[in-house]
Amino acid sequence: MKVDALFEWMATGSRCGWAAYQHAQDNWFAAIMIGLIVTAVLVNIFRARAGKQLYIRRIPGLDAIDEAIGRSTELGRPVTMITGLTAFGVVAVQALTIFKYITKQIARFATPMRLLTGDPTVFAVAQEAISDAYNEAGRPDLYDPDNVRFLSDRQFAFASGVAGLIQRERVAANFMFGEFFAESLIFAETGNMVGAIQIAGTVSFTQVPFFVAACDYTIIGDEFYATSAYLSREPVLLGSLVGQDIAKFLFALTAVTGVIASSIVGTKHPFIKLLGQPGGWSEFVNFLLGGK
Amino acid sequence: MEAIIPHLIAQNIWQLPEANRTVYATLVVLGAFVLVLGLIPVLQALPPRGRRAIVVTVTFLAGLLFAAEFFLPVDWRAIFPKDDPTRNFLTPAIQPAQNVLQTIGALALGLGTYGLVRLHLRNVVQRRTQWGYSVVLLIAFLTMATFSIANTLAERQLLKLEGTPQRVLERGFTILFDYTLVQLDAAMFSLIAFYIFSAAYRAFRIRSIEASILMFTAMVVMIGVVPLGAYISYQLLGLPQGPAPEGAGLGTQILHSIDLPDIANWILFTLNAPAQRAIEFGVGIGGLAMAIRLWLSLERGVT
Repeated sequence: MKVDALFEWMATGSRCGWAAYQHAQDNWFAAIMIGLIVTAVLVNIFRARAGKQLYIRRIPGLDAIDEAIGRSTELGRPVTMITGLTAFGVVAVQALTIFKYITKQIARFATPMRLLTGDPTVFAVAQEAISDAYNEAGRPDLYDPDNVRFLSDRQFAFASGVAGLIQRERVAANFMFGEFFAESLIFAETGNMVGAIQIAGTVSFTQVPFFVAACDYTIIGDEFYATSAYLSREPVLLGSLVGQDIAKFLFALTAVTGVIASSIVGTKHPFIKLLGQPGGWSEFVNFLLGGK
Repeated sequence: MEAIIPHLIAQNIWQLPEANRTVYATLVVLGAFVLVLGLIPVLQALPPRGRRAIVVTVTFLAGLLFAAEFFLPVDWRAIFPKDDPTRNFLTPAIQPAQNVLQTIGALALGLGTYGLVRLHLRNVVQRRTQWGYSVVLLIAFLTMATFSIANTLAERQLLKLEGTPQRVLERGFTILFDYTLVQLDAAMFSLIAFYIFSAAYRAFRIRSIEASILMFTAMVVMIGVVPLGAYISYQLLGLPQGPAPEGAGLGTQILHSIDLPDIANWILFTLNAPAQRAIEFGVGIGGLAMAIRLWLSLERGVT
């Protein structure tokens, strides 16, 4: 009986309807756009690998990373790196790539560091990434697993843990990269109170105003994904960045076309539906074939 | 063969059959354990290049499942008239694949907890600075974990308690969870209000033209979305309320649109919303590019 109850409990999570899933067939235009973006990214990655020189504009917040590390080294106080509650995924991988770069710089000067995370999967990967960073910097002796900490996966328990650590250790530089929620201001204001240089980068656009208000430098929106390319200047990443710019141009072109077309033919026209509504593709094809 | 095709196109090819489900589930769990335990020594024995090849292949196949599921047509009724037109044959595999991710996450939770407990035990044993906080954490951790696990097991009927032990468990859990943890969360959350004041003070200090524009815009929005904005516009200034009547002159139309609530809404939905959407587009494209690099193992940051 108990075993049956356990299986019943385990099975509950896997029962899910699939009508809510989105598919390319809902509107092939969206699938074509995804195909174009992927092609643009891949073509530019291979162009960059082939030796094509690509330009990337200056991002002041990222230039300030070395300055912040230098200040921590001079003061002999730790650097904190916070991933927030970011679950393991592309955002976390990007955040850890940035933190790996920062750790390599830190390792050169033997500056103390703390990486704080609220997601256990990110914690496991972060331990490996930070250990790799010390190895690559030629200072494996400086790596202490206790410096990479999982505090709690509860939002405000994590927030109080981070705020307490920042206060107790009087950190000199605070880097926040990842996905943040209401706790963002608690981190940023606590860092501000102890006089830390703060650089934040997030994909959570609702938290950007808080970071802008409380941090010295803020990396906004897709600059977050440009960070690793900017810091490492690796051809794959630079090529990917150019592909992203082409993709943005495609989106802008679609938006402008949509605005002009809807002003002329109205929002109910099949062409407008094609640009962004489920079923828009079939309606547009019917329209082209002479149907209504 | 005839029976296999309808089964393949049926909805449950990725789920265990109802009959003897317990036996099948046990076999699947044991099989997974054997596979994982067998895989660890194989991976350790391989040279780094071979290990990377396995990781690259598994990553590519896992990504391919989600990509193929999205791009494959869902309506196969032209070939299989009785097929469900709301999904293709890969759709039922998506949830089990996500369950695998959850399982990996659950294993990592153990790892994270182990790291946390190890750090604080070391603090206590070595009498490091402020080791008293570590004692508090360890006691809180043990107490909360005991009551929480026991309570979950009791709720799922996996632990039978009656009389005093049951009352102690229920009362203890309520005190720890509802009266302590939730209240502490609320206290932390309420601190944000004070932090907003200090952050807003610094942001709104008029130091440059940009800061002045920010300050002015923020004031208009803040006053416009609260009743004070309506009071100033309609009672004090006597501006007309609501949209201008059909065929009204330009002057009337302007008077109907310069009240503070309308201006605040215009700033929020005509200026602010498109800027936020533009940021979202950029973030989405950046995420997609990153996902492609990870899927094709072109990303060398932490992978």
